Parts: sequence; C-alpha cells; structure tokens
Amino acid sequence: MRYRTLQVIGALVWGSLVAVVVLPVEAQSGPSSSAADRERAWAMAERVDQALRSRWQAAGIDVAPVADDSEFLRRVYLDLTGSLPPVTVTRRFLADPRPGKRRELVDKLVHSPRFAAHMAAVWRRILVPRSLEPDQVPNAVGFERWLEQQFAARARFDHIVADLLTAEGDGTRGPALYYASLEAKPEKLAASTAANFLGLQIQCAECHDHPFDHWKQRDFWGYAAFFAQLQRPADNLPGNFVVADTDSGEVYLPGTDEVVPPRFLSGELAPNDGYGTRRARLAIWMASRDNPYLPRAAVNWAWFLLFNRGLVHPADDHGAHNPPSHPEVLDELTEFFIASGFDWSLLIQTLASTNAYQLSGKGPTDTVPPEAFARHLPRTLDAETLFDIILQVAGQNASPSASGINARILDANRIQFVLRMQAANSREPTRYERGVPQALLLMNGPLIDQLTSPQSSRLLQAVGAPFFSDEQRLEAVFLATLCRFPTETERRMCMNYIDQAADRSSALGDVLWGILNSAEFCLN
Amino acid sequence: MVRLERRRFLRAVLAGGTVGSCAGWFAPLVRALQGHPARRRRCVVLWMAGGPSHLDTFDPKPGHANAGDLGDRPTSVAGLRIGELLPRLAQWAHRLAPVRSLSTREGDHTRATYAVRTGRRPGGPIADPDLAALLGKELASQSSDLPHSVSIDPPVFINPAAFSPGFLGASHASAVVGVLGEAEEGGQSFPRLGLDYLEGLTQRRTWRKEWLQWLESQYVESRKSENALAHQVAYQRALRLLESPAAKAFSLEQEPDQVRERYGKSVFGQGCLLARRLLEQDVPFVEVCLGSRELSWDTHNDNFSRLRKLCEELDTAWSALLQELDERGLLEETTLLWIGEFGRTPAINQNAGRDHYPDAWSCVFAGGGIRGGQAFGKTSAGGEEVVEGKVSQADVLATLAAALGVDPARENITPLGRPVKLFDGTPIRDLLT
Repeated sequence: MRYRTLQVIGALVWGSLVAVVVLPVEAQSGPSSSAADRERAWAMAERVDQALRSRWQAAGIDVAPVADDSEFLRRVYLDLTGSLPPVTVTRRFLADPRPGKRRELVDKLVHSPRFAAHMAAVWRRILVPRSLEPDQVPNAVGFERWLEQQFAARARFDHIVADLLTAEGDGTRGPALYYASLEAKPEKLAASTAANFLGLQIQCAECHDHPFDHWKQRDFWGYAAFFAQLQRPADNLPGNFVVADTDSGEVYLPGTDEVVPPRFLSGELAPNDGYGTRRARLAIWMASRDNPYLPRAAVNWAWFLLFNRGLVHPADDHGAHNPPSHPEVLDELTEFFIASGFDWSLLIQTLASTNAYQLSGKGPTDTVPPEAFARHLPRTLDAETLFDIILQVAGQNASPSASGINARILDANRIQFVLRMQAANSREPTRYERGVPQALLLMNGPLIDQLTSPQSSRLLQAVGAPFFSDEQRLEAVFLATLCRFPTETERRMCMNYIDQAADRSSALGDVLWGILNSAEFCLN
Repeated sequence: MVRLERRRFLRAVLAGGTVGSCAGWFAPLVRALQGHPARRRRCVVLWMAGGPSHLDTFDPKPGHANAGDLGDRPTSVAGLRIGELLPRLAQWAHRLAPVRSLSTREGDHTRATYAVRTGRRPGGPIADPDLAALLGKELASQSSDLPHSVSIDPPVFINPAAFSPGFLGASHASAVVGVLGEAEEGGQSFPRLGLDYLEGLTQRRTWRKEWLQWLESQYVESRKSENALAHQVAYQRALRLLESPAAKAFSLEQEPDQVRERYGKSVFGQGCLLARRLLEQDVPFVEVCLGSRELSWDTHNDNFSRLRKLCEELDTAWSALLQELDERGLLEETTLLWIGEFGRTPAINQNAGRDHYPDAWSCVFAGGGIRGGQAFGKTSAGGEEVVEGKVSQADVLATLAAALGVDPARENITPLGRPVKLFDGTPIRDLLT
C-alpha cells in the first residue's frame, strides 16, 4: 500500500539507485539469503565479535561459555519467530554434528514466514506498549498484518517508518491503531515517534526548557507541528478511528498564542511551498540523509531485541548524556545497515550470527557489568509470547504459521491473559515484570490447569501413547518446553515421583506444571 | 542507569534472602514489640466510583434550592452537621474530617479518575503509579506473607492506567480482589469476595512445590540476573501466600453471621469487613470500592432515590468498620480517606439528577493522624464554588501521606532516572494531629 508515497520518497532520498529498490523483490524472498548477503552478514558479525573481544581482553573480563545447542535453539526460535521449535526439529538439531548448523538455522528462520509475523508483533508492542483495550483488538490485527506485509516483502526499514508516518485510513487494514493509541495528538505522536524511530527523548521539553536538556521547548513543538493537521478521534470512539489529514491545525507554545511552525530536529524549518502534507514532509526527512538518527536508532533496537539490552541503554534514549557502551560497534553496524539499504532482516541475521549472541546465560555474573555483553542477559517473555508458547506446548497450536495473526490476536483467552499478566506500563516497551497476582494466575489459573491435566492436555495425551516408556514421555515434555533433555537429577526426581504415583499421567502433568511455571520457561 | 540497576538487583537479592523467615501472623506481634519505630499507619481508601454528590453527603445545604428535599442532621460534634442520609456516620463525626473545598480540573471519568488516583495530570510522559501502588510500597513490610496493597472490586475498566503501578512495575501492583459470585452462608446470601486463584494447588501440592522450587534454584543460581530473581521472588511470595495462615484473612465465612450482617450484605459492606481482616493481618494499604459495576455514584438522573440506597450502603459499612477498628485499638493506627473522582453539579438537572462537577466538591478523612470533628474549607451557599480553603487532589493525597507518617516529598526514580515525588501537593496542616 501507499506506493505513491514510497515513490516520492524513493526519488528524493539517498540519491542513488539503492533507493529505487522499494517494492518487494522476488529474488530476496526465497528460503535463504543470497550468498552475497550471507557473506556480508557473516563478515559483519566477525567484526562485531572482534570489537567485543578486544574490550573483554582490555578489561580482563571473564566471558561466559558458549551456550549449548539447547539453550541456543530455544533462544533463537523465541527471538526470531516468537515460538518454540517443534520436538522433531529440536531432536534433529541436537543430533546434528555439523559446526555450521547455527548460522544455517538463523538464515532459515530469518526467511521463514513466521519471522515477518513475529517482527510485526515485536514492533507493534514497541509502538503500542500498553495492554490493548478489547475494542482496539481488531485494529491490532490490522496493524500487525500491515507490518507483517512490510517485513515479509523486505521493505526498507526507513520506508516502513515513512509509510507509517503518512498512513491514512481505518485501523483494520493499516497502522491506525498507532495513531489511535496516541489519540492522534501532536505532542504524543511527537514524543513516541522521536523515541522509537530516532531514539530521542524530546518530550521532557514539552512543558518547559530544562537547563541540562539538549532539546528545548521550541524543538519539541516544532517537531510536534508535523502532526498538527490530523483529524482527532471523536471522544469514546477509539475503535472507529480513521487517520486523515486536514487542511488546518497548528500547535502553540504552551501558555502563549505563538504558533510554532514545523521544524525538523536537525534544525531546518520545513519548506513552506505548499507541496504535500506536513506528515509527508516529515516522512521525507525521516528517510533522508539529513536524518542521522533513524539508522542508529534502528540498529540499537535490533541489538536490544537480540541481546536484551541496547548498546545505548535505555534503547530509546540516545544522546551525549547517555553514550553507547560500544560506540565503534554502533557506528559500524549503522554504516552496514545504511549500505544494505536499511535491510532489517539482514541486520537481525547479522546479529544472530555473532558469537556474542551464542554466549550462555550461565557463568560469571555478579562481577561482570551487563553492558559488557560477556554473557547472555535473559529477558522475561512478554505475556503474548508466553501465552502463545504455552498453547503451543499444549499442542493447541502445533504448526505456527504466518497466517495465524488473526486467530492469535482475536483469541479472547489471550486478551484476558495479557490484561492480567501485563499490569505494568514499563518504560522499555519489551520489558515485563511479574508480581504475586501474575504468579497466582499461572500457578492456579484455568489456562495451565487445563494444559497440565491429562483429560484436557493434548501434549499429555500425545505422549501418553502406549508404545512410549515413562522415560520417553518425560523426555518429550522436556524437549517440548525447554528444548533440552532432563538432567540426571531431574530424571531421577521425576521418575521416582511418577513411579510412586497412582495416576502416572497426572504425575507427568505435575512435572509439566513445574516446568511451565519455572523461570527457565518464562524467561529467554 | 547502571548504578540504579545494581541497586534494584541488590534489593531483589535481599528480598529473596529474607523471605520465609517470619510467618505473617507473627509480624503484627513483632511490630508491637518494636513499638512502631517509624510510626507509620495503615491506610484505607474508600473509593466512590462515578463521583459522589457532595451536597447530598458531607456538604449539605438544607433549605437551598440545590438541596432538593434533603436536609442535614446534627452529629456527635456540636456545630458539625452532615447529610441526613448518614445517621450512623453522624455518630462518628468526632473521628471524621470532611474537606469541603476540593477543586479540581478534570470533569471526565477517565481523566479525573487518573488525576485523583495519581495526583497528576493524565496524558503526561510518565506512567504515574496510583495511590495504591505508591502508598503500598511506602508502607510495605518485607516480613508479611500478604500483598502490601489490596484493592477490593476496583472499577479498572474506567481507565486501566489509573489503577496501575505505572513505572514502579508489577511487583508493586495492588492485588485485586474481585467478586466471585454469591454464596449462601447460614441461610443467607452474601457476595463472595476473593483474590483470584488463591484457591487451588491443593492436589499434589507438596511435590509440585518442591519440583518448582528445585527448577527455580537450579536456574537462578547459575544466572543471578535481575529478572530471574524477580521471577523467583514473586513465586516465593505467591507460594507463601497460598500456604500462609494469614491468607485466611480472605475467608470471610469465618466471621459470625451477625458481624457479616453488621457491615451489610453488599459488595462494599463485605469489602469493608475484608479490609478490617486484612488490616488485622498487617496489610498496610486496602481500598474498598463502592459502585464499581455501574458507576453507581454517577447519578445523572434520579439522583435522590439512588442516593438513599447508596448512602444506606455506605453508612452501614463505613460505620461498622470504624466501630470494629476502634474496638480492636486499630483506629488510631489507621488513616481512612473517602473520595471519588469528582463531585456533582449543585444545580439539579431536568432528570432530577446531578452531572459531573470538579469545581467544588468534598472528600473525608478519618481515623489516626487526623484531627477529627471538624470540617475543612467551605463552599458558597449553593455549593457551587469554594470560598474558603481551596485544595487540589495533590494536596489531599499529600495530606493522606502525611497522616500515615510518610513524607509526601519522598521520591521514586523512574526508569529514565528522573526523581518523582510521591505527591506534589501540600499537606493540609489543620487536619493533621
């Protein structure tokens, strides 16, 4: 959609032929990367590893061991597809002796349909971090499907952003949810787009100048002015919100009658030549060379999504006051991302192909600062992903596919679960905390209760087939949830319990109950 | 940022290290023995969903056209009069302090609920924690098995952000007690209140618990990351709660029938009884909501007959709570605040109703830390505007904090590293002991 805008932007930005590669390119949507892409990704990954390694050596930092195949497999599946690997895939991967199998898997996953769907979900959560109201759910479907199409077509990331900034229409087929969630208010759109696409926290300047802030009140309102000519949603009708530009509308310096004209964050006023809407002008600037922020911010988000902490941390707060932990890595990756034509998939593939990404979460912890990236930092899974993988484990959703967005988001149980699990609006949109009510819900709630009782759990029914031994059943439960075999101690604990139980499949349900509630399952 | 994270990390480690040592029923005793070094009180908020009419409750204007048919009544304090629909509370006036001069800016339920519960303007850049999270956090004692903040039947649907721990995170979210249906008890029917999913885990509980704890310790020991620890701590607390004798506080059926009836058979009545039981178990913050289902106080039509019913429910339950807290020596240790999101128009509309009105309205303080027996502030003869002692919602919240023994200027640090005061207002000195 909106190819017209893309063409306008394409003609204006980058001044090179790269920019013309806007529409989906068939050759790129095959099952794996071209050899050239793969080589570039791997070469870049090497350079990232070199840079991290020289820091570790200089600082004498103990580095975690490389993760074993199980830890890596679970991590990369969750990070790139938001799902767990099927048991057959896990068995095959664990048994595969080839040294190159990890990079090969990354290559395959990045090109799977599930990757685009997952990236859509991730970006929807970044952009609309709060729990969805029930009446917004159809718009969430529309937004995710729109994003999924962009990622599946390997649209340039800067063009996805530009398209989002010029989107029109209702929420069922596009990104209107984003505008509705921000009430289409200039100040809210300004704060959100600056933080998420530029990595800049300018909203502190909304009310007045701060002595130590780089951004002044006039900068904020000049930027907000790009969103001043939008229709606002009628009260109480967020579900029906349609994004549309109007001919008029200005922003004023708070407490004054002074109109603030639209001005880019690079300092120039937007040309007043009557050509294009204000949003289109912003979109053009967003995707232009004059905007140094967008690619850096995107690279940092990609890093954040795989390493669970940005090179700049918090991920949406770039600036002299908050320097990156590895400026040389951020610079080089940004160059790489620009040269690749803002290829988000290739960027993710590159980072997932580093040795650093393969480090274990185990190892020296107390003494090593997290910003050294000398071990994997686990993250608490978001409520939606947790719900999805619990269902997947239970066999309710055995073959995750890209077409599942509708069914997934519209699932009433999922909406309820997410509302209860996601009590907090945390600053980093992909960071979650759980408290006692959430633990109670997981331990005693109907979801896990159903999935761990032999009468209703398809997993338990499937492994309950008579030709399996109890040990094999135990193994299958571990592989389906944690992607690993039970340790000797675990095997002994569980088998002792199962052997003494009156009802052996209920006992296996208890094993599953413990695993689904464990940190190992709920974190990645 | 790094420094802050480490501090949070340490706190989580410490919390993990001290749990399980001291059962909940024991904590009140320990505190009594220590003689309350911090002198902090417990807090009860009575949240009136929809916005109660000030003229028909605590700021009566008998004889004025705006009053309709309603008059006022004398109280246990000479010279202090309240609405005629609150006869039992009138007997407690020496412990009550109505504030008749609240003046706020938000006249829409969603925005006003946020403003009153956080003390801040809605729509700002920070996800502000609500008063349940802020005060629960300040008053929390690590040794209790029970949540440090409990909300009974809150109208979350009005605006989830107004019932949220905001940037403080889920570990400070108040535990929501919902209405789980009706229950027949002793031939009578009461609404059944409960913490969701507190029942359960009975089957094969011992092994499940041991197994889970083993899995947790294996994982967490090998990677002491902040979120792995947070997961472990949340589960430890939840498991402790499931097995704690203190969790019996949630079992209202343990109360004799006449006690249950004293509070009234309403959700609010039984909620006030539950509040008393939770306070006895040292839960430091409890809020009980009246009218959450239908925003009952939102009386755009038929105000007077609806007020009669609402006030009966309120009068019965609140006076029973005051009496029982007093009998147990807990009233002096507990500060109460009665408040909704705004008041209602003094002028009666054509549907015999009253509409939203933030310009001039009332809330009421009661109990410990409060100079009872006086009304603070004054509205004009018809109740339309504040003529004396104008205060904001932030002032009211700051007063509540001060009465509890919490400095309202204490700061929380947002994840962005910005210090934010609990409440920006100024405590009303005249109301504090």
